[in-house]
Amino acid sequence: MQKVILEMNHIDKSFFGKKANDDVYLRVMEGEIHALLGENGAGKTTLMNILYGLYQADSGEIIWKGEPLAIKSPKDAIDRKIGMVHQHFTLVNKLSASENITLGLKTKGYPFTDRASLDSKISEISTRYGLPVDPGKRILEMSVGEQQRVEIMKLLYRDVDLLILDEPTAVLTPSETDDFFAVLERLREDGKAIIIITHRIPEVMRIANEVTVLRDGKVVCSKSIGDLDEEKLSQYMIGRDLSTLKREERTGGNVLLNIDGVSLEEKGKKVLDNLCIKINEGEILGIAGVDGNGQKQLAEVILGIRKLGGGSIYLDGNRIDQLSIEERKNMGIGYISDDRHRDGLVMDMNLEENMLLRSERSGFLHHGFIDKSALKSATEHAISEFSIKTHSSGIPVRLLSGGNQQKLIIAREIHDSVRLVIAFQPTRGLDIGASEFVRSLLLSERDKGCAVLLISADLEEIFSISDEVAVIHSGRIMGIVRNNSDVDMTRIGLMMAGKEVM
Amino acid sequence: MKRKEASLAASLIVLFLTILLSLVFIGVAGDSLSSSISGFFKGAFGSAYSISEVFVKAIPLTLCGLSVAAGFYSGFTNIGAEGQFYMGAVAATVLGMYCPFLPGFLLIILGIVLSFLFGGIWAAIPGVLKAKFGISEVINTLMFNYIATGIVGILLQTVLKAPDAYFPVSSYMPEGMWLFKIIPGTRLHAGLILAVLSAIFMYVFVWRTWAGFKIRAVGSNRRAASCAGINVSLSLVLSSLLSGGFAGLAGFSEIAGLQHRLLEGMSPGYGYLAIVASLLGGNNPFGIILASIIIAVIQVGSQGMQRSSGVPTAISNIILGLVVLLILLRPVLVKALSKGDNNG
Repeated sequence: MQKVILEMNHIDKSFFGKKANDDVYLRVMEGEIHALLGENGAGKTTLMNILYGLYQADSGEIIWKGEPLAIKSPKDAIDRKIGMVHQHFTLVNKLSASENITLGLKTKGYPFTDRASLDSKISEISTRYGLPVDPGKRILEMSVGEQQRVEIMKLLYRDVDLLILDEPTAVLTPSETDDFFAVLERLREDGKAIIIITHRIPEVMRIANEVTVLRDGKVVCSKSIGDLDEEKLSQYMIGRDLSTLKREERTGGNVLLNIDGVSLEEKGKKVLDNLCIKINEGEILGIAGVDGNGQKQLAEVILGIRKLGGGSIYLDGNRIDQLSIEERKNMGIGYISDDRHRDGLVMDMNLEENMLLRSERSGFLHHGFIDKSALKSATEHAISEFSIKTHSSGIPVRLLSGGNQQKLIIAREIHDSVRLVIAFQPTRGLDIGASEFVRSLLLSERDKGCAVLLISADLEEIFSISDEVAVIHSGRIMGIVRNNSDVDMTRIGLMMAGKEVM
Repeated sequence: MKRKEASLAASLIVLFLTILLSLVFIGVAGDSLSSSISGFFKGAFGSAYSISEVFVKAIPLTLCGLSVAAGFYSGFTNIGAEGQFYMGAVAATVLGMYCPFLPGFLLIILGIVLSFLFGGIWAAIPGVLKAKFGISEVINTLMFNYIATGIVGILLQTVLKAPDAYFPVSSYMPEGMWLFKIIPGTRLHAGLILAVLSAIFMYVFVWRTWAGFKIRAVGSNRRAASCAGINVSLSLVLSSLLSGGFAGLAGFSEIAGLQHRLLEGMSPGYGYLAIVASLLGGNNPFGIILASIIIAVIQVGSQGMQRSSGVPTAISNIILGLVVLLILLRPVLVKALSKGDNNG
């Protein structure tokens, strides 16, 4: 009989009067992979941050190994053998894997560390769980998958009994995901409890024993996987049936964007390597690939945020690569960045002011003065058209949820005279409803004759709306395929991993 | 405690602590606390003259405070209002000494324009260096203060020196350039109008125009501003130009309104006090007027205190230091007070 290792009962937590967790419960056994499933904003991460000591619950109790537990900080949590890997890794880039793993631990002989014995202990754990980590390699030389392994090693080295993993597969290629799941299974056999936060139903079905589904901060279901199937899970998670996107096959018009042999070097490394793509009017080109293979650089050289090293870029036959960002945007380029906090919004400014950060602003300016009432009514129009949830158009966008912030950016960037949309991870951090909305909007822009460059790490997203898919690896296009019913996904996977495929 | 209540409570605690600690220092330094306090209020509000003295000090403080704030909006931390003040004063002096034949109104208008430009360019040099090469404007504007006071010293020994003067001072400006007195018999001059108009101008410019909006966007998130197609360098330089310009105006106002000639050490550190004024006024143009008046009251009042009970006027610097320290502590207080609050 398995033992209950963790119980969380009646957990409540509100932010600014909105309940993020409402009477939530969770029960995890030893040797179990427990999936915490829910859309973004359902309260999964909040619950785990409470367990990990980053937030304090407003009320409720946590029982750990049969005893009530008060956790005030992540340090407390790790002392009690609870560990968490965050979605954004917390590694020191310039240090080696071994240094990161032992960071903050006073080992025997401190401060004169016997690195070799530490390394051998790391290698030992690493072979036990099939988790290859090179102790001497520096984080900045590692792929995202390797970095994740270092994060997990960090916890195993501290001998935790419960691992909390926040969206661990979001950054992995399909084959990396397979390896990763094998590791999880070995950990489970070893008696460790694992909580995996995710919104991907197929993964839950594949790896978890138990699942707790959260919706709007409440537990809607907590069952064994055996009693469930994908359809039921998605109903629990979303609370309604999803309409699948319909994409009609069509061929586009003239070439609108022509990227001809673009190269870029950064810190002595080729990040874009003789890259060529073309997008026709009325077409969506998806760029598939693992994060960090030049996607950001590609988006930014098109906009002029980065200067390109070689090659040329044409919009509708006109060379644009020497123009300023403003000139390019004025030619009808809309940009949805992957990092809305850094690139897309001024967080301390209100919705109206953020609407003004657009290229099409003639209606809001008279002789250099801002026409406040026109701006306000345009913002309110966008709020109702895109159903952005906000108290008013005058509050800082910092107070909006991620999905609503993204909608505001889209409302601003996709205006009537836009001809090319660069959508870089446009649904990152959005819940399923909002993601559907964004994708259908991109589709309708395409139907209006717009060209869309969709860069995403989410293959499902790419194949749901793209007409053509190009795979990027190390700044090179590995291949371009037409997105029809007979796409060979293994081939796509190989290209994503950098294999030459004929 | 709710956040709003906590914020109010923290403000009251800051105010209370400032007064309490100030009284402790005054009590220690002076003969008797009661005579010190009555001396303070008599000094600041005792007569029409003392009240006018408060405003005389508040004028350059307001203009320099606007200067600090104008830089702040774009993220240009201007420590150099002092130097820009002197460059503005030099511009006004050169105009007055070399073109005394011009009619008064022209001298005033040209003086305003030239001192704004001189002060502005003095700040725009570090502005360009920051925008183009990323060189810290904090160091540069500070160092430019020493260069500016050095230049003033050299000019007053040479070309600007009054022929009949023993000390390094310039000749008096032609009377046509003198600003009229708002209250006859006091030193309160029309620089007050200039300061208030400047505050209004700044408010409108920063919050109502596209150029001002760009400056604020650059200050809040340079990267997002640049992604939106805003020329970040241009906005930064414009903001530094504006910033220096206001400090330059303060220099003009002191020459044309108060001293009527250029002196070494003409500013008792207005450019530095302005940082306090800008902080205290929350970088709001009208808040800065209010803050400048408060600072001026403390300064003028402490002179009264020195007369009545021998408290050294340096006490005003101690009080202002306390104010800054406590204002900076305020967010910590708010956080501590709202701790345990569900809506924290």
